Amino acid sequence: MTNFAQLFFDAASLGGLYAMAALGIALIFGVMNLVNFAHGEYIAFCVFALIVPSTDAVAVMFLGRAPAVLLVPLILVIGGMIAVASEYAVFRHLRNADPVAMMISSFALGFVIRNVLLATYGGRPKAISLWPELNTPVQIAGASVPLLQVIVILTTLLVVAALAFLLKKTRLGLEMRAAAENFTMARLLGVRANVVITGAFALSGALAAAVALIMATQTGVADVRMGGQIMLVAFIATVIGGLGSLPGAVAAGFLIGGVSVLLQAFLPLEARPFRDAFLYTLVIACLLLRPQGLFVPASAKPRV
Amino acid sequence: MASKHQENRFAAYSTPIILAAILLALVLLVVAFGDKALARTAAETLIRVTLVVGLWIFVGNSGVISFGHAGYMAVGAYCSAWFTLRPQMKSLFLPDLPGWLLEAQWPVLPAAIAAGLLAAAVALLSGAAILRLSGIAASIATFAFLAIINTVYSNWEGVTGATSSVVGLPRYVDHWVALAWAVTAILAANIYANSASGLALRATREDEVAARASGINMYRHRLLSLVISGFFTGVSGALLGHSIGVLNPDSFYLGITFISLAMLVVGGIGSLSGAVIGVIVLSTVIELLVRAEQGFAIGSAEFALPSGSQEILIGLIMVLVLILRPSGLSAGREFKLRLKLPHKTLANEQIPSNRGEIK
Amino acid sequence: MSKLGIFDLSVRYGKVPAINDLSLQVEEGERVFISGPNGAGKSSLLNAISGAVPTSHGRIELDGDMLTGRAPEAIARLGLSMVPEGREIFGSLTVEENLRVGTGLRRDAEAVDSDMEDVFEAFPILRERRSAAAGALSGGQQQMLAIGRALMTNPKLMMVDEPSLGLAPKIVDQVYETLCQLQEERSLTLIIVEQSSLRAARVGGRMILMRGGSVVGEGNAADMVDRDALAQAYFGNPKCKEVNS
Repeated sequence: MTNFAQLFFDAASLGGLYAMAALGIALIFGVMNLVNFAHGEYIAFCVFALIVPSTDAVAVMFLGRAPAVLLVPLILVIGGMIAVASEYAVFRHLRNADPVAMMISSFALGFVIRNVLLATYGGRPKAISLWPELNTPVQIAGASVPLLQVIVILTTLLVVAALAFLLKKTRLGLEMRAAAENFTMARLLGVRANVVITGAFALSGALAAAVALIMATQTGVADVRMGGQIMLVAFIATVIGGLGSLPGAVAAGFLIGGVSVLLQAFLPLEARPFRDAFLYTLVIACLLLRPQGLFVPASAKPRV
Repeated sequence: MASKHQENRFAAYSTPIILAAILLALVLLVVAFGDKALARTAAETLIRVTLVVGLWIFVGNSGVISFGHAGYMAVGAYCSAWFTLRPQMKSLFLPDLPGWLLEAQWPVLPAAIAAGLLAAAVALLSGAAILRLSGIAASIATFAFLAIINTVYSNWEGVTGATSSVVGLPRYVDHWVALAWAVTAILAANIYANSASGLALRATREDEVAARASGINMYRHRLLSLVISGFFTGVSGALLGHSIGVLNPDSFYLGITFISLAMLVVGGIGSLSGAVIGVIVLSTVIELLVRAEQGFAIGSAEFALPSGSQEILIGLIMVLVLILRPSGLSAGREFKLRLKLPHKTLANEQIPSNRGEIK
Repeated sequence: MSKLGIFDLSVRYGKVPAINDLSLQVEEGERVFISGPNGAGKSSLLNAISGAVPTSHGRIELDGDMLTGRAPEAIARLGLSMVPEGREIFGSLTVEENLRVGTGLRRDAEAVDSDMEDVFEAFPILRERRSAAAGALSGGQQQMLAIGRALMTNPKLMMVDEPSLGLAPKIVDQVYETLCQLQEERSLTLIIVEQSSLRAARVGGRMILMRGGSVVGEGNAADMVDRDALAQAYFGNPKCKEVNS
């Protein structure tokens, strides 16, 4: 059953990555109905924060040289900061705009960040080595698994647990959940809109940073395009999970990760390059069957 | 009352005439200058008019943002290439094409129409699925559609040449050809927008629930507008291919999606005139920025904007327009000629005032 | 100084006027009913006071503090709380969480628990179902929760929009009984939108009649019912006492 264990670890670690990215998007959507197309660029931004700004082909580590105890919190803070800054610069001025306008503006903002990165770092992917020792395989359940996969799975569980704790047990979490359900009513009860929204963006940005660290370690590459693909998957996960539902986003993230790994393993060789096309087609099919999402809890719908 | 109605109808149908006149004036201006680079820019701009007007037919009428139209563009562009490339080239670079297509070498116009029709067919298929979703979810699904097309076209080696570019397309698209298609697209957009289906669809944009309650089948009208929209978007892809002569799947991905949406938003999603104005304004800005990136002289000093500043500035302009003027430059209004009819019997003798005014 | 002072207030939705030059004073500890036909601007008035909709003209003061132009959360912090039309409870939160949402603005943390106890005392069903998702409550229970939730912000002025909407008369009796009791205990000022003048008369208080975005009459709720003022408010030509502006 080596093969099975191997597949399981692949699926769980990929799914974990997708789940974290999807959580970042679902958080913002929940609180302010914003489909944040800039989220992928937050991820790319955090990856590039690891290296010295230059358009040279060879990447020189910058923040990436700091020891992990410093680096991890530092990158999380940077991720939080760029998200909060984008809220402050753009989305704050669109609070009363309709969701479509906000969505397009986030698309534009993402494009701006992407091109700033392109202008500063050049368009070619760069090899970086962040914690290369994490890619050494370890033996678990008869499968040879890169240590990083284990760490990703554990990190995802930790992040999901921490987020659940924050949302369920803290004041900010309570206010965020209330605001996500009915923003105006929450404000009428004295919940401060700015605190909640800034908090949501900071968390979302920190999640993007966590995804960035994992991707940078896993792929060993810094590429401006890396945010785009995972963002699309994350979006799809939030839609499948039921827009704005956090548990739904996590579950759908794992589901997509799993399906993706299965497609990779069992598609005929010549069809494998088209894996993503199959994946997205499945997604659209799945949305057709349940347009409201797969994991919408019954309790979320107030009785009329 | 009848004359009032006639006035309104005339006003509605005067919009494409004014827009066509503006575009014609631009082309004549460029021809008068005789500058080759300027003529290229004009052709490029007019291709974008076809694209953005095509996009508007769906987005403007339905209010659903589509990130997938670059996909229809790719479909159209490659289709036209299949029909017009020399058979020897095709058997060398695109060997997996079916036999009859390998042999085919059509004239450019039927190939462009075929490109539009194939794109329209793809729009019908994808739309039949995507448009069952509600607004925001549908937008995300269009994004997934774009990714599907990009993945397929970037990997289907024997049919699309995958990521290596398809070269040798006949470069027949100059400013006159582009103008002809742009005007056709504008006419079609205007006719659709004033048709029963277009009016019904715009009603759903204002109030989905009320429109549904009054028996409007939103899904059918959205699908129809997407098919028409897909046709012209596909044609614009073909035109783009035959203007630069080279095709690559990545020229039909996020970059063009962004630029076309930016033009639509800056001009104003609410009106056809807005779509055209957006193209003209942003194309001018892009052209100026491109020149600024190449370097310009003020006095004896040379300045050059860093490369990439074009995209960054366009993005910032787009965000600023969304914040400061959410309905765009046109604010949802159309260019219209107003025809005053004192008596309805005089309807045919009245000469419209030749002043185009924003009403 | 009045508890709540409204001076020449106008509210517009786009170009559609909802409230026209309305002036109104509410005294400390008073109970005021607002009545009138649909579209009279009752809910708009409450929403304007609470900051949920922007005002286009005029000013609103609470204890002399300007409310106009403030964010809803800032107004809530000045001691104003609202039970909106349709109750708007947070369906995915538990009953207890619903009650706690509005306690973030309070500095008297230790009093929160005793207030919670008071709410449970007043509405025992809420204690029973404190861990249930609020969306699973019945309409009447949701109304009680919405009132309890508003109380938990420890307001000085509470506004209730149509507490009787969609509830069985027996439940409405109970809701009003509790409201009055709470008002007495906590020296609250109450503003209640109530369609039924009979109900208002039975509960007792001042009654304001609105029509077309203006106040068209006011008086003691019990007296107002006797006169045909109410019918006039609905069907035109008000003969009731004009408001001195």
